[in-house]
Amino acid sequence: MIRTGLMVFVRFAAIFTASCLLAAKGADAVITGKVELPKTTKAPVMTKRYEIVSQGGALAPNPPVAIVYLEGRFPMATNPPLQQILQTNYTFVPSLIAVQVGTRIEFPNQDHAFHNVFSYSPAKRFDLGRYRPEERPIPSQLFDKPGLVTLRCDIHEHMRALILVLETPHFLVTDPDGQFKLEGVPEGSYVLKAWLNSKTTLQQPITLTQGQALTVNFPASQERKGKSSQ
Amino acid sequence: MTYRTRLLAVMAVVIVAITGLGLFIAEHKVAAETEHDLEASFHAELRAHQTAREIRQATLAERTRTLTLRPRIVAALEDGALDLLYPSAKDELRDLMEASPAATNSILRARFYRFLAADGSVLKTGDPRDCGVISRSEETQLTFRALPAETQAGYISHDASQSVLEVLTVPILSSETGEPMSALVVGLATTDSSENSGDLRTGILLQDAFHISGFDRAMQARVAERVRQAAEKSGPSGTFSLNLSGARFRLFYNILNPRSKFPPAYEVCVYPLADLLARQQTLRWQASGICIALLIGGFAASHVASRKLSRPVEKLEQVSAQNLAHRQKAEAALEQTSQELQRAARFSADASHQLKTPVAVLRAGLDELLAREEFEPEVREELSALRHQTFRLNNIIEDLLLLSRLDAGRLKLSFSPVDLRPIVEAWMDDLSAVPETTVNVEPDFSGDNLIVGEKRYTAIIVENLLENARKYNRVHGVIRITTETAGDVVSLRIGNTGRAIPPEVQSCIFERFHRGTAGENVPGYGLGLNLARELAHLHGGELKLLCSREDWTEFEVTFKAASKFEGTS
Repeated sequence: MIRTGLMVFVRFAAIFTASCLLAAKGADAVITGKVELPKTTKAPVMTKRYEIVSQGGALAPNPPVAIVYLEGRFPMATNPPLQQILQTNYTFVPSLIAVQVGTRIEFPNQDHAFHNVFSYSPAKRFDLGRYRPEERPIPSQLFDKPGLVTLRCDIHEHMRALILVLETPHFLVTDPDGQFKLEGVPEGSYVLKAWLNSKTTLQQPITLTQGQALTVNFPASQERKGKSSQ
Repeated sequence: MTYRTRLLAVMAVVIVAITGLGLFIAEHKVAAETEHDLEASFHAELRAHQTAREIRQATLAERTRTLTLRPRIVAALEDGALDLLYPSAKDELRDLMEASPAATNSILRARFYRFLAADGSVLKTGDPRDCGVISRSEETQLTFRALPAETQAGYISHDASQSVLEVLTVPILSSETGEPMSALVVGLATTDSSENSGDLRTGILLQDAFHISGFDRAMQARVAERVRQAAEKSGPSGTFSLNLSGARFRLFYNILNPRSKFPPAYEVCVYPLADLLARQQTLRWQASGICIALLIGGFAASHVASRKLSRPVEKLEQVSAQNLAHRQKAEAALEQTSQELQRAARFSADASHQLKTPVAVLRAGLDELLAREEFEPEVREELSALRHQTFRLNNIIEDLLLLSRLDAGRLKLSFSPVDLRPIVEAWMDDLSAVPETTVNVEPDFSGDNLIVGEKRYTAIIVENLLENARKYNRVHGVIRITTETAGDVVSLRIGNTGRAIPPEVQSCIFERFHRGTAGENVPGYGLGLNLARELAHLHGGELKLLCSREDWTEFEVTFKAASKFEGTS
């Protein structure tokens, strides 16, 4: 629990710092909106704990949530903070994480058994081997290419986690009901994308002026396989 | 053929028939039982075999399926890292491919493995040494048109290991879609087919090859052909017999992979019947031997039995033969006697006739002489005496004729009730007509006087007796006549006074021509008593001398009483 809190805090701090930096650059725009998330039968979780499920041939978080990011040319943060994905209760926590390219993620083992972290995803193929909780240094991996990385455990086949490595510093995970608010965005023309699952990413091109407060919604579309909708 | 021989023959035939039938039935039964037992034991063995195989297959399938869930293999397929598929599999399937035959589950050793792409074709492997070498044609056999949804079992010939491999194709399901996205094909060593239990040889028949030990190519081809024919005709499992180069074999075949997308492979079990047939033959010989021994024993027994049984019958035959001989002799004697009798009868009839004629002529002559008036009284007296003698002659002849007829048995009485009283009274009348009679007749007819007889002959008996009573009487003597009835017998007693019959001649008085001591003075010629007795016998009665003592002689004649007689007249 402490670690979770710590992680959340760290992330929050990172975003805050980034937005502060951006804010120092001038009056930045703010994008707010809502992504229409797919219906789910599961009741909203109390904690921000997701699992990766397979829906219609795609890996998706459950309960559904989206990652909204702005695609464009941005100066990247030089030293993104360390992230963590825990292995606890034979699950990856968090099971969905969005990081900037160049982020290092640690994978501490908090169970009383061997765990293993590996991925065969084209964005990052790695295998940290099998290790017990007392393994030091805590195995970690640097993610230096953008893309979706599917995490697996060699021993426990059900364990899944998704890491969306992004080439932009402007990204966030939406609320459980799809609301998002991107702050500190510089003016310019970009594409706002909403990642829903491993096979679906919605997009909308936008143009921002200085200090604009834009509202972009991603309504539910009929076909969800990578089709953009307005 | 004697009775004994016939009996023996019949017994022998029956014994042979029964023994033959028994032997036939027994042989049939034994053969059927043996065949049944063989089938049953084979079925049991095959079932055990089959069960073991099914368990093994299930275990293998389960083990292979477990492998398909390995995260690395799934990751390689799902996360677009096909190039990592075989390298990952190398680690995961290492113990499956372990080449140590001493391992406890060496029967679960894989010779090769491959992965299928989503279109059913075999994914190319980097280094065949890691995952087993297979030839191009073998690879083709592993290809599917579409990925199977369930585990499929098949059998292929593996050139590299010179054996038949059992191939298990296990679909690998996507953890994202649940559909098959690939398949793991594993080629496993089968149980060594050269491992045979006893005489039973097991082989595997594939689409294009047949592996079985102990047969040459030609025989293998023949067996393969027959099994394929039988499989077409009668289904996935069955049994039949066939001859291979002179020896007889029993075949059992069973499909190894039913419900499989692979072509069918059959397990073929061949059992040589030579041993069985040899044993059957031995059994047959033994049975025949026992049968022959039994037959011989049976013959001997029937020999003894027939002799025992036929002895009384033969004795009977002998006796009846003897009886027949006796009878024939008796019949011959009888015939002879009857002929003699007839001859005698004829003779007596002829003789009496011959005798009567001259007597009649004599009488006639004498009558004629007496009729003449010219003769003197002394001559006339003489003639009269002579004439009287002719009557006497006639009587003798009549009596002799009667007697001869009696002797020949030609005299038959026609019975009817006869009253004795008138006969006696008639005689008494005649007697009183004779002037010099001095005897007194005292009749006593108190009893029943009706008897069964014929009047003519009854009168002869009575008159003879009465005449004797008169002739052998003294002067002023008495004749007492009494009748008495006792039951159905009527007795007539005639007693007379006069000289007694001496005791020593009493037994001879009924003989013919016996005249006792009467001398020639008493008329008669000795036939009377004899005739009377014979006639009495014919009447069914008897004549006997009751007593003869000083001055009293009494005769009794018994008749059948007529009141009890129905009458035949």
